[in-house]
Amino acid sequence: MKKMFLTLLIMVFGAGAANAMSVEKIIERANEASYYKGDDGRAKVKMKIVDSQDRERERQFTILRKNTANQSQRFYVYFERPSDVKKMSFLVYKYVKGDDDRWMYLPSLDLVKRISAGDQRTSFVGSHFYYEDVSGRNPNADVHTLVDTDDTYYVVESKPKDQKSVEFSKYKTWIHKLSFLPIRTVYYDSKGQEYRTYTATKVETVKGYPTVVAAEMKDDVIGGKTILTYENVSYDVGLPDDIFTERYLKKAPTQYLK
Amino acid sequence: MKFIMNMLHRLIDFSIAKPKQVIRWNVLVASILLVLVLIPTLFPSVPLNGVKIDTDPENMLAKTEQVRVFHNDMRKEFGLYDILVVGIVNHENPQGVFNQKTLSNVLALTDYAKTLDGVVSREIISPSTVDRMQNAGQGVVNFDWLMKDVPSNDQAAKAVYDAAARIPFLNGTLVSEDGQALALYIPIKSKDLSYDVSKALKQKVSDLGMTDSVYITGLPVAQDQFGTEMFVQMAVSAPIAMLLIFLLMFFFFRNLALVSSAMIVAGLSVIVTMGLLVVTGNTVHIMSSMIPIFIMPIAVLDAVHILSDFFERYPEFKDQKKTIKHVMMDLFNPMVFTSVTTVVGFASLALTPIPPVQVFGIFVALGVLFAFLSTITFVPAFVMVLSKKSLEGFGNTHSARENSGTSEGFLEWVGHRSYRRFKSVLLISFILMGVAVYGVSKIQINDNPVKWFSKTHDIRVSDKALNERFAGTYMAYMVLEKKLDRETVTALAVKHHIPSDLINGESKEAVLNQLYDWADEQEMSDMWNDRIDAYAAELQTFKHPENLKAMSDFQDYLLSTGLVGKSNSLADVVKTVHRDLYGKDDAYVIPEKNGAIGQVLLTYQNSHRPNDLWHFVTPDYSKANLWMQLKSGDNADMNKLVAAVDQYLDTHPSFGMDAKWYGMTYINTVWQDKMVNGMAASFIGSFLVVLLLMTLLFRSALWGALAMLPLTITIAGIYGLIGFIGKAYDMPIAVLSSLSLGLAVDYAIHFLARSREMRKNYPSWRETVQPLFGEPARAIFRNVIVVSIGFVPLLFAPLVPYQTVGIFIASILFLAGAVTLVVLPAMMTLLSHWLFKDHHGQLTQATKISIGVIVALIVMQNILM
Repeated sequence: MKKMFLTLLIMVFGAGAANAMSVEKIIERANEASYYKGDDGRAKVKMKIVDSQDRERERQFTILRKNTANQSQRFYVYFERPSDVKKMSFLVYKYVKGDDDRWMYLPSLDLVKRISAGDQRTSFVGSHFYYEDVSGRNPNADVHTLVDTDDTYYVVESKPKDQKSVEFSKYKTWIHKLSFLPIRTVYYDSKGQEYRTYTATKVETVKGYPTVVAAEMKDDVIGGKTILTYENVSYDVGLPDDIFTERYLKKAPTQYLK
Repeated sequence: MKFIMNMLHRLIDFSIAKPKQVIRWNVLVASILLVLVLIPTLFPSVPLNGVKIDTDPENMLAKTEQVRVFHNDMRKEFGLYDILVVGIVNHENPQGVFNQKTLSNVLALTDYAKTLDGVVSREIISPSTVDRMQNAGQGVVNFDWLMKDVPSNDQAAKAVYDAAARIPFLNGTLVSEDGQALALYIPIKSKDLSYDVSKALKQKVSDLGMTDSVYITGLPVAQDQFGTEMFVQMAVSAPIAMLLIFLLMFFFFRNLALVSSAMIVAGLSVIVTMGLLVVTGNTVHIMSSMIPIFIMPIAVLDAVHILSDFFERYPEFKDQKKTIKHVMMDLFNPMVFTSVTTVVGFASLALTPIPPVQVFGIFVALGVLFAFLSTITFVPAFVMVLSKKSLEGFGNTHSARENSGTSEGFLEWVGHRSYRRFKSVLLISFILMGVAVYGVSKIQINDNPVKWFSKTHDIRVSDKALNERFAGTYMAYMVLEKKLDRETVTALAVKHHIPSDLINGESKEAVLNQLYDWADEQEMSDMWNDRIDAYAAELQTFKHPENLKAMSDFQDYLLSTGLVGKSNSLADVVKTVHRDLYGKDDAYVIPEKNGAIGQVLLTYQNSHRPNDLWHFVTPDYSKANLWMQLKSGDNADMNKLVAAVDQYLDTHPSFGMDAKWYGMTYINTVWQDKMVNGMAASFIGSFLVVLLLMTLLFRSALWGALAMLPLTITIAGIYGLIGFIGKAYDMPIAVLSSLSLGLAVDYAIHFLARSREMRKNYPSWRETVQPLFGEPARAIFRNVIVVSIGFVPLLFAPLVPYQTVGIFIASILFLAGAVTLVVLPAMMTLLSHWLFKDHHGQLTQATKISIGVIVALIVMQNILM
């Protein structure tokens, strides 16, 4: 009963807020809810890649994130599985303006490489997710329009400013009115056909932050999908800055990875 | 047997008595089949079998054939599609196609191709759809599209080539080794879409105003073209053949109405046979499309004999009924037996293991059977309904004789010579046979479906242009797999401290899944999971450096054979990424540690096309796929490669992996092999059956053997010639053997049957020869001319197999006719003492024994082959 009342209250307020909120504000809140919770964050990620022939591959890694000035962020990805890529690590400096900086460490070759990529829409470790899906697409890269609002979602349509840099013609995002988490994103090709869908399949509240703990990306062009599950999610861990440096690529900060 | 003969006699009598009814029946049967074919073809919604075209060379093997099943399973497992190749060559620009204008057109063409229905856009190989990895200096490695956008100038265009040439997968495949040409690969979802896609691409090329030479080719395009040309053959060559036969017959018999009757029989036979083929749900295939052109000459064969005899006799009787009755009695036995032998010859093809050849054989046999029945009913009936007026002046009167005087004088001369000089004739034949046998031993077995198109055909021109510049357009694949036996699997588990009693399950996957499930329930699940991980990695064959090195060495060997233009494998991917990570050429090696390979490959998967990896290895790394590009699609070359690989595997036991071929270039050799062996078996089988039939027909082993003489010499001669001129023994040549058997024996039957009859009316063989070279020889001569020239229009068919069939059938018939008229009488002169002994229809002891031996051979052959 109490729950129902709460829901009702939220619905009323939610609806009221929607009318006032501009699409820019919605996107900004969604971006924050998705990628900027707390000062920092940590999660153990299990990745299951299912290909068009239903063959499965699994990967497991821990991801550390820290927000820095001007909406910039740093990510540290540490691989645990499969065993032959264990201790492989990635470091990403994300900037709102300009290309990301990326580094990669290959322990068996004892090699650190800085990576410069032509774009962010390359596969993240062979999955159906792109790098951009993991670290967040820059909201300024697209023109957003609020196309629909229902009881639960804002439906925003986004069109790229630079069509040549992306393979989609537009995408639509269903942003949850309360949590501002994008629950579903559908990408359309040049003919206006749906071909790629992101779905947040499970949301839990962690330290007061609504958090996606299971998600999948389905891609009809490639075939198959990738399922992500997040375990041991925590925020405001107090990650020191120096973890996000080249030195720690080679020498994993074990105490922060547990 | 007697019963059937009586029935046939009655049928002839009935046709003469009730001609109109018989004509109606013949036409009715053909009309019904025509309607049954047309309705579902024009209205596909009707649930009947309409015309279905099949141009897929894969169908030379049965769907359940193990090699074919494996081929398709592997294509699916490694995500391989049928591919259209767009070759682009520029002769004007010094940088070839790597100039700004061409590359911007290529970009537009690729973007357009992506939007086409049926194109697998993610798999297109084009400069704008593939990745390159480049050392950008100072520890930076750069990942990007090979050609992200239109090059800003010619220098930038050249850079696209330079980057691609550094990538082994692309060099010699996407870009030509000489840096002048490009080949785009457009995968399609199914072969039947190739026409639409290639048409759309051609249109786009012209819309873009590309000045480069653009070749659109690839197996699906070739197949599609094939279907079109098949119809050209059926719709053009067959009617031309019919017209030619008509004109020749008219030249001989000078009576439009009578000649038409033979043509109507041929037409009805073709309609009925093709109708039955379609109605029974069979496809029109390269083989079955040749049915009309085979049926037609065979169908007129008997009619020519009837007309020829009628032509000779009519002036004598001056009465249709009397003449036709006489003619039908004269020819009844030879017609029955020539038809039976032809049916046997074609039906024997049903014993080959090639489904389209079986269908071809069965339906030609049915067609011949129908043609026979139609001839003995329709032709006499037609003669009966003709008004007496239309036959006025018909027949071999003096004026007509003068017209064809040259051939008559010539035939008499031939008969005379063969009789007088029989020893020389036989000696020369004997020597020529020896030479022919030597020629047969030199026969090269080879085929190549691309060479089914004539040299000037677009497909051949493209094929040549692309194979001159690229590493080869013919693909062959090989799956490598290391079989892990139970002991090894268990021993490895123990090595990784996993209790061996936990190793249960059918497959590797099942074993691992069970282990992981078990580990999750344990207290120290992390430790167990780590151990299982390490164990799982150990089971991944193609993450082990030694296996990748073995594969790489094997590829070096393949290249050294000179048969492979280029090969691609997981080893090349690993080496390329390894080199680019280090940014130096000497790092183009397989790294030493297992982990390094896994890490290099994970790096590779951070690209735009991570799934390209699975064209080379299965995600569990247990099977690897080796791609080979060959410059020649000749089966002979593929066979050499197979032998070279077998030799390598035999001499390198440390290679330690099972290797299995697939891919169309390989599949072609499999069905060729089946065809060669199957044809040999079916030929030997039908040779024996025909020999038996001949012995029974003539009630004498000697006469039976004599009947086989012309066809034996003919086949030896033709195949000897094939050996000498170096013409490859290919699909059409293989089919011809059974076919010539059925046809070449016909002349001998007519000649022998008539000579035996005539001998009764003359005191000696010597006196028989001259009349024998009158009407009977003339009938054979007319037949040789009509039927062999009837096949000539095939020479103008656009596809080489049809041309081959045309040339060789004409030659076979010509040679068979010549042997029958020259060698047979010489041999009969030699044997005349024994041949014409009267046994009062009783079988001699020797004949009985021969029959026993032949039957035993037939039984043995059927058991052995």
